Amino acid sequence: MVFNSCFDIIGPVMVGPSSSHTAGVVAIGKFGHDLLGEIPKSVNITFYDSFSETYQGHGTDKAVIGGLLGLGTDNPEIKHAFELAEKERMNISFEFEERCPYYDHPNTLLISMKSRENSVEIGGVSLGGGVSKIFLINGQPANILLNSKLDMESMRERYLHDRR
Amino acid sequence: MDFHSMNDLLQLCEEKEMTMGRLMMETEEKKTGKSSDEIFTMMKERLFKMKEAVEKGITDPSPSPSGISGGDAHLMKEYKDKGNYMTGGLVTDAMKYAFATSETNARMGVIVATPTAGSAGILPGCIFALEDNTDISTDDLVMGLFTASAIGYVIANRAFISGAAGGCQAEVGSATAMASAAIVEMRGGTPEQAVHAAAMSLKSLLGLVCDPVAGLVEVPCIKRNVIGTAIAFASADMALAGIKSRIPCDEVIGAMYDIGSSMPRTLKETSLGGLAATPTGEDLKRKLMAKPCRNSAKNTG
Repeated sequence: MVFNSCFDIIGPVMVGPSSSHTAGVVAIGKFGHDLLGEIPKSVNITFYDSFSETYQGHGTDKAVIGGLLGLGTDNPEIKHAFELAEKERMNISFEFEERCPYYDHPNTLLISMKSRENSVEIGGVSLGGGVSKIFLINGQPANILLNSKLDMESMRERYLHDRR
Repeated sequence: MDFHSMNDLLQLCEEKEMTMGRLMMETEEKKTGKSSDEIFTMMKERLFKMKEAVEKGITDPSPSPSGISGGDAHLMKEYKDKGNYMTGGLVTDAMKYAFATSETNARMGVIVATPTAGSAGILPGCIFALEDNTDISTDDLVMGLFTASAIGYVIANRAFISGAAGGCQAEVGSATAMASAAIVEMRGGTPEQAVHAAAMSLKSLLGLVCDPVAGLVEVPCIKRNVIGTAIAFASADMALAGIKSRIPCDEVIGAMYDIGSSMPRTLKETSLGGLAATPTGEDLKRKLMAKPCRNSAKNTG
């Protein structure tokens, strides 16, 4: 079961306008931020399917950047994610594709990110109502539900690529 | 203890002689090890967040950043205040509050997803209309949120609650089902009546496609939230009158899943079909998105 709590249904508390295209994507970006352990210096984001068609109206681009900056789903600053990223001198690029080759769902994205020392690539799917899952890390299948308790410390040990 | 269907849910309620709301709370306690007080407080916080979103929406008559929505909560309030409404104070208030929440959502304000942000207007619309028009206590409103979450929990795990996966029936349909069941329990109806209300709500919204104009959660999303409140109250009244859904709720959810699975991609939150692809929808997209409509151009040949 993906939805495990009454608060997966009544919640999250979030900035609008879409739980799957905004809040769920903030959560995926935030996971990336926490895995890297800092705000990335450069990111390349690929939106698939529904995300690539509606990202502007749903604020999906602001959501993923907001998450990568470490913001939570209910942080009103998500609205200003691009200005904040500019202050951090984050280098951002986007790509848009139709179908995700790695996971069969319309709400999928890939984030490839680099800090000074590390690089990591994650694939995330937003399953609805703000609940998301990581299905890919560095090209390997993963199955990490973001509405569960996560041990980021051991994940960093396992997944981070040292670039030095 | 957990439940995977409305049948499971009703059976557990009967065995334990509990309301659905109370059963959901107990399930959460068992799963998380948190105390019932703690869980109740968490839900109460969400009720207050909903209230804030409603108040923000009512007092802000400004248009949304896109300019294609906003100000309707305010118009509804003025209309209600004049007193000449037809659907009664309860439904008029519910519509007003649904507008308020969904408009706050469109402005990227803070809301509570119930179960999604695109459908976040319906449950608070119904809840705060009951608060204004009956003598229900705040704690009973919180219990109503637990009832609603039990229904959403089953639907989300058996089918889908996102427009991209299952169309608007999965969002506004689920939210309306949740709200109607919550109304039934808040009004003292049985769990069985609440499940019938959910089934009747979901049935009336089966097949509804997700076709947001310009990819914004505004047109037609906001008004579908508003109409959802009226359906929720109508279904709740039918259920409380003893009227049953001939098709059991679990089978209605199954039908929703089948319909959503066979819906074309253009009608599942891609803004490539339905109202999004009308001449006015296309025109708004061109104006607002400042990008060529590569897909719509492909669509219309």
